[in-house]
Amino acid sequence: MGIAVGIDLGTSNSVVALVRDGTAEVLQDGAGLGVHPSVVAFGYGRSVVVGARAREQLSYAPDSTVTSAKRLMGRRYNSEEAERMRRNVAWGIAAGPHGDARVRVQGRVLAVPEVSAHILAHMKSVAEAATGDVVDGAVITVPAYFNDQQRQATRDAARIAGLECLRIINEPTAAALAYGFGQGRRQHVAVYDLGGGTFDISILRLDDDLFEVISTSGDTFLGGDDFDVTIADHLAGILQQETGVDVSENLGARIRLRIAAEAAKRALSDADAVDVRVPSVLKDSGGESIHLSTRVDRNMVRQLVTPLIQRTFVVCDDALSQASLTAAQVDAVLLVGGMTRFPLVREAVAHYFGKRPFAHLNPDEVVALGAAIQANSLTSFTEAAGAVLLDVTPQTLGVRTVGGFVEPLVPRNSPIPTQSSKTFHTAHDNQTEVRISVFQGESRMTTDNELLGEFVLEGLEPAPRGVVRIEVTFAIDADGIVHVTAEDSATRVAQSLRIEASSKLSHEEVEQMRFDELGF
Amino acid sequence: MDARTRMVIEIDALHGLLPALDYYRVLQVDQDCAPDAVGDAFRTESRRLHPDRLAALRDAKAQGQANDVYRLVNEAYRCLKDPEKRARYDQLLTVGTLRMTDDANAAAQADKKADDPEHAATDPNAEKFWKMALRDWKNKSYKSCVTNIKFAINFEGENEVFKEWLVKAEKALEDYEATLENNPYKLRIV
Repeated sequence: MGIAVGIDLGTSNSVVALVRDGTAEVLQDGAGLGVHPSVVAFGYGRSVVVGARAREQLSYAPDSTVTSAKRLMGRRYNSEEAERMRRNVAWGIAAGPHGDARVRVQGRVLAVPEVSAHILAHMKSVAEAATGDVVDGAVITVPAYFNDQQRQATRDAARIAGLECLRIINEPTAAALAYGFGQGRRQHVAVYDLGGGTFDISILRLDDDLFEVISTSGDTFLGGDDFDVTIADHLAGILQQETGVDVSENLGARIRLRIAAEAAKRALSDADAVDVRVPSVLKDSGGESIHLSTRVDRNMVRQLVTPLIQRTFVVCDDALSQASLTAAQVDAVLLVGGMTRFPLVREAVAHYFGKRPFAHLNPDEVVALGAAIQANSLTSFTEAAGAVLLDVTPQTLGVRTVGGFVEPLVPRNSPIPTQSSKTFHTAHDNQTEVRISVFQGESRMTTDNELLGEFVLEGLEPAPRGVVRIEVTFAIDADGIVHVTAEDSATRVAQSLRIEASSKLSHEEVEQMRFDELGF
Repeated sequence: MDARTRMVIEIDALHGLLPALDYYRVLQVDQDCAPDAVGDAFRTESRRLHPDRLAALRDAKAQGQANDVYRLVNEAYRCLKDPEKRARYDQLLTVGTLRMTDDANAAAQADKKADDPEHAATDPNAEKFWKMALRDWKNKSYKSCVTNIKFAINFEGENEVFKEWLVKAEKALEDYEATLENNPYKLRIV
């Protein structure tokens, strides 16, 4: 049997870590790199490159280099997120057989979990090279606000990559584990996690070896990418002012500006001002190359990104109010995600909570370290390994009732694993099917929530209306994934369920995609 | 015998008893215990019974039983930590019902709404103004509070809570304006 690692599968970067001799450490590749860009470059035929080498291809082969694929995990083709991605990437987005968004690249169409599986397989090979052991199990982290479908897509990616997914855990929870494990802390902790594509805040109560999430909230449309886009738009404005050329219709030029914007953002973490030079952003109508050369300072960027940072505090307000705590009652603030290196973000967070964030954790590595600790405690027999994580479900689970309203079954911030049962009955005489639409989200109307799927109770005994009563149980497991089962209330016989309108991959599809079957 | 083997045996025994246990016995607290004791008991039982503690055994049966047990711990906690749900559950217990029902949950929800003006609105438009009115009340902006309640009543005229609060807010506004009358340095803001 192989060893189990912790993997932070991030929007921009991924990290793999392992507990060795009781200490969690990040595993590095041959080049000494511990943080790997979550970039997958597809070549001709079946050649695939992942990580730093793939990232180098982005500027000259953007149409075959897939970045931020995590943003599409578990998303539908006609979702808002897929629409946004379509405007910002040079590869294609296609509709899958379940209405799921898929990646079209080099003439192939891949399910998003297949793309993520390449990143996971790369992490697996980094870990195997670093340890000399076979790696076959992993705890994989996801944003706390990920819904059922996004979590299932992550599990599918692990399966495709040949990894047993021991557990999906939430990134902020993993960070808290890395912070508090073996430290005997008793305090309230806020984890502020601003990553490449998502923002999460979790409020935890630490009681020695018990890590209890009290509330969690998030925005899956807000991350470092949005900061880059905002700065890139600003650069495009400068370019237009100076040269009169509009880049908004030129995707290649926009990608080059975004790469420059990201570099400028990073540089501004240390410097107060930075020179931005982008040679040949695009060619003008006469075929002349147009270059950008300008200076960006921290004050200018502060004005650009302040609205984005403010949005995170609206989410923080919500999490604190759900936990019935005030910012002042939080004992420690942890920062997670590359964006929290940004001094403007740090300042704003310190101001909001009225205290300096805990500084002794590396925001890029802490999530993977926590995942490794959890992987160890799920596989190890030592008595000391026992940290207990009590997490919650981030979004309310409900079913559709008459008029398009949602009836909540499991409220958000309920501890998991959990379950809730509801009795459904037929509304017409001799009805043989009952359709149940399951949603996740906080709105009272179904249209504003995410449809997880439709479950059809079929083969019901023909009878007068209301006579047939079926008890349906909605269980949320420790991974935050929803399972629906049904039985006849009177006979206790299991009732068969047909699943429709779910964007999830079927078991068979996942098996066919497995790399070990394909000989990768 | 190591701790895990003990836990497997304990959970096997507990699993058989589950159908007969009420929420208080699941959390091992007295029925008249203080609200804080519920949270403490939940944490104690979580340490003792969390299924992750058995994961390394890779014993599917023990894992399944532990999941069943722990789901009930969570169910009990979700009910007993909420004062309205706990009160409704206590009524169920008197007739021998050990698990919360849909009806009791709905009733608890209604109790909560009755106690909490936050949920008094049912019409979405009324709700918008009602929320503003409550915020005005908190900020002691009584004039705007009265206006917003009146707007809310426009959309939902039958709401008794609105009417009650309108009287309350108008009185507060009157008192406030009276203090201004007595203030020789009052400023008129136009």
